[in-house]
Amino acid sequence: MLVQEMMRSPVVTIPPEASLKEACNLFSSRGFRHLPVMEGGRLVGVLTDRDLRWATSALCPEPRKLEDPVRSAMSQPPITIDPLDPVEDAARIMREHKIGCLPVMDGPELVGILTGMDILDTLIKLTGVSLPSSRLEVALDDRPGELARLTAFLAERHVNIHSILTYPDADRFVRTVLRVGSSQIRPLAEELRQAGFRILWPRPKPWSR
Amino acid sequence: MVALIHRAEYAQYDFGPEHPFTPARLAMLLDLLGELGVDLDPVQAPAATREEILTVHDPAYVEVVEALSRGESRPDAEAFGLGTPDNPIFPGMDLAARWLVGGALHGARLLMSGAEQRVLQLGGGLHHAQRNRAAGFCLYNDLAVAIQALVAHGWRVAYLDIDLHHGDGVQSLFYDHDRVLTISLHESGHYLFPGTGHIQELGGGYARGLSLNLPFEPFTGAEDYLEAFDTVVPQALAMFSPHVLVVQAGADAHFADPMGDLALTTQAFEALHRRILDLAHRHAQGRLLATLGGGYDAQVVSRVWTILALTLLDRPLPEALPPAWIERWRPLLGETPPTRLHDPVPAFPPLPGSELRSHHNRDMVSRLLDALARYWL
Repeated sequence: MLVQEMMRSPVVTIPPEASLKEACNLFSSRGFRHLPVMEGGRLVGVLTDRDLRWATSALCPEPRKLEDPVRSAMSQPPITIDPLDPVEDAARIMREHKIGCLPVMDGPELVGILTGMDILDTLIKLTGVSLPSSRLEVALDDRPGELARLTAFLAERHVNIHSILTYPDADRFVRTVLRVGSSQIRPLAEELRQAGFRILWPRPKPWSR
Repeated sequence: MVALIHRAEYAQYDFGPEHPFTPARLAMLLDLLGELGVDLDPVQAPAATREEILTVHDPAYVEVVEALSRGESRPDAEAFGLGTPDNPIFPGMDLAARWLVGGALHGARLLMSGAEQRVLQLGGGLHHAQRNRAAGFCLYNDLAVAIQALVAHGWRVAYLDIDLHHGDGVQSLFYDHDRVLTISLHESGHYLFPGTGHIQELGGGYARGLSLNLPFEPFTGAEDYLEAFDTVVPQALAMFSPHVLVVQAGADAHFADPMGDLALTTQAFEALHRRILDLAHRHAQGRLLATLGGGYDAQVVSRVWTILALTLLDRPLPEALPPAWIERWRPLLGETPPTRLHDPVPAFPPLPGSELRSHHNRDMVSRLLDALARYWL
């Protein structure tokens, strides 16, 4: 999934000469925590609610006053991302810098904003349940064609796959978690076992062994 | 004062010989009830009309069901959940489903008119059907049509779902409706179909706190299940004070059911059925509308639903199954047919990991109650 599919736009911005009080009003009235700071059509920084709270805190060595400009408290230089970058890049950049938002820049132009919340929404979309479906979890061998063998098996039985998630297992298998559009998951798992697949869920019932 | 609702046409709701939701289950049940001396002269309800179906379903969806039912082909069928392994298309399926909806609706009307206090529809329980989509063997939502009629009558309706699977269709149709309380107990959607029914699904808008879900870990047994039931359901009903209790009494949470992983016994079902009757008396002015539901091991569902019917009829439960019934249904009863109504005790050896499971199930219940506190207080 690409940043441009996850980002929000249009973006509310603030000029560097605006006061911290104005920024605070924007945060509380609009319910967000990040403001790109724009000067003459150019992105010059990001003011976060954390920047604001620190700059105006009694604990800050040089506390700013509410009338002081945004420029005096903003984070800079801004760390940005391209609208065509994928979700994993966005997540990695935010994680590495321990930051909560990325202004999305198409060349010099600010086209959107991506926050940690948008990444969480994406995670929910990627892993969640959007249609009635059952969980099927298979340990596939890590070699070409294994996933194809599994999906072909399901296709032959006209079982629709709503989502697939794979991740490497500790011991050289590829854990593959599918949500499939069938409630008859136990009989299906039995057929898959007989076809030589290693099924992690559903498991045989403990009392039937 | 107990009405049984059924008619021969219910057997038309048939997805074919390979499909688990087979009408043979109903035939076995009726035969067993008859063999046990229940006077089987059930109320024969009319089929629901198209207009009645449209009280909960989208016209576009109903139109597709009708077209497929007439044998027309529709390229968009699968977008409506039809023509899938769960919901194969069969001729006459529109009317077949309307018979079942008509039964539940008629049951609701018997309660509204005061003619009956307890109604059991021997069939139906199609709780997965959504506004614009068939799902999980369910074409039209008989329970939701009945609930809609009860609400239109001015009643508050409590819906209780003990099917193995989450009652997602009924929940979503009344998610924002502050006159309907839905409670579903089921195997966790993390594992099982339909994947929903988490404790965070609490209802929307003014109905926040009126959608309750108790998702159990796979292999949860009777003790945990009944403990959670007793902790949540009575106080929810006491708080909501409904005019009527509507129950989807699926039997697939039984340990031998081929679809899922819960581990209830027939004894647990008897305890559940007695609790349901008691709760209807305490909190719903004695009014109870129950349907059947899921349940895919023929010999299990016959026994569980016989226990349900006899309990609602206030009749004693026999110990042994009638030999004539066993003989007649031997081909469907498996290699070692049961001879008793109840499961053997113990029904299966102790399960590993039960402490961890209980721990998890109790945490689930307390999280649910914590979340509800802010809406109920």
